[in-house]
Amino acid sequence: MTNFAILTKKEFVQMIRDFKIIWFPLVFVFLGITQPVISYYLPSILKAMGGNQGITIDPSFAAQTGGEVLAATLGSQFDQLGVIIIVVSLMGAVQSDKANGMLAFILTRPVSVTQYFGAKLMSHYLFAAAAVTIGYLISYVYVNLLFANVNFIDMIVALLFYLVWVFFIVSFTTMVSTLFNSQGIIALIAIIVLLVGRMLVGISPVLNLINPATMSTHAAEVLITGIINPKLTANVLITLILSFLAMMISKDWISKKKYDNK
Amino acid sequence: MRLEIKKITKKFKGKIAVDDFSMEVEAGECVGLIGPNGAGKSTLIKIISDIIDPSAGEVFLDGKKITDMKKEIGYLPQYPNFFQWMTAFETLMFMGQLSGLKKEELKKEIPHILSKVGLSKEGNSRIRTFSGGMKQRLGIAQTLLHKPSLIVMDEPVSALDPVGRREVLNIIQEIKKDTTILLSTHILSDAQEICERFVIIKNGQKIEDTTIHELLNRHSKNKIKIDMAEASLKWLEKVKTYNYVKNVEIVNTTATIELENIFLNKNRLLASALENNVDILKFEIDNDTLEDIFLKLVV
Repeated sequence: MTNFAILTKKEFVQMIRDFKIIWFPLVFVFLGITQPVISYYLPSILKAMGGNQGITIDPSFAAQTGGEVLAATLGSQFDQLGVIIIVVSLMGAVQSDKANGMLAFILTRPVSVTQYFGAKLMSHYLFAAAAVTIGYLISYVYVNLLFANVNFIDMIVALLFYLVWVFFIVSFTTMVSTLFNSQGIIALIAIIVLLVGRMLVGISPVLNLINPATMSTHAAEVLITGIINPKLTANVLITLILSFLAMMISKDWISKKKYDNK
Repeated sequence: MRLEIKKITKKFKGKIAVDDFSMEVEAGECVGLIGPNGAGKSTLIKIISDIIDPSAGEVFLDGKKITDMKKEIGYLPQYPNFFQWMTAFETLMFMGQLSGLKKEELKKEIPHILSKVGLSKEGNSRIRTFSGGMKQRLGIAQTLLHKPSLIVMDEPVSALDPVGRREVLNIIQEIKKDTTILLSTHILSDAQEICERFVIIKNGQKIEDTTIHELLNRHSKNKIKIDMAEASLKWLEKVKTYNYVKNVEIVNTTATIELENIFLNKNRLLASALENNVDILKFEIDNDTLEDIFLKLVV
């Protein structure tokens, strides 16, 4: 086995031992179910709770299409609590190896920084992507049950767009985990940057172009309208470039051995 | 393999940790790097094991840069800290594979090495349950696994209790037959027990590079200490008249005799004592202990 494979395997074994392999996808399943179920029952809930005094349920309110609900799963659930969960589960990715000396220890073996960091990123991305996909597919099933059917191709295309955004989330968080030494600071910085980035989508066209969070709105757009935004290619490229940059910065940081300068 | 450390300097934010340090270690040698806390031992060890880069200078193993020779180095950190969730066996498997060993090879080799460091029963226990001494022994097992030609150990016994210390020292005694060893410590008696050669470091600079005998001889005081039975004390009157005797001090039944040239004359003194039927209880060169010498050098 190559060093890359050994290190990747170690990450996956660790996920199993930490039970991350169970709770992490479960969170996304839960988030995936939440949106369609709440949207479906909200009118009845409001009716039951609010009684008849002064509340009117606008009949057009309930008439959400399936695509809209699935888009809301991405935009309201995954992009908020989902991002926070990903960041929190990843904040120690490199930081804990730095803190207990394992990073230095591993690098005394004939292991390159690219192998070490590549394995980290790969395993965590594949895992996060799988969890997001599972949650999303469950959400898709619920949407099809409770609302109108969503076009299967649109659903897959939207997922692929969304996974590009997830790639940026993972590489950015891993970078922050490499650069800083306190888990609290790492979580704070990553969550604020990612959530603010998500909130700023739509404010200005220039910002949209360089904002990786725009990928999430591209996914929503496909689900709602079935049309792919022409700016997509530029956004995919820029998101991938930014993720690559985050990887390079982390790799460089470790190569320069800054982790041991106390 | 031959280790060359050439003019290493390391600065941390303006503070110099290692200052123009050079030394060479021949294959098969065992060298103790000794110094007080904060002298720069750990920093130097980390530079040698390529964990941190020096600000200036280079380290070569067998003429090649250390970065390209990682396979040949076994490194034991001061506090070996493995993944808590792994078992001892898995840890060795993981580190062994990263060192480029084959899985099948390791499966055969690991039980062997675990028994060498006295952990054969703990092979399948999680590191989480290990004591400091056990982690240290596992750390040593890890350094031996890929049969390196140079083993670098940072304070291998300083954090252990007397039992753990004894165990680890015995293991090191055992492995030093096969490899070059460089270890740092601030406990002289440990270094004295394992290593022939000492390098003393203070404020990042090399202040002494010598063997134990040389060090003791250099700091000997040309004095002989003799314990004898009370009846023999009158012999000392005779001793005072010898031309190679400079001074005689008597405390109870112990005489401290200062000689002209101790190496030439100590046997003459002994011969005289035997001739006069002196009842000798103890006859020794009155040296500083290593502890005394160390304190003199570094304080």
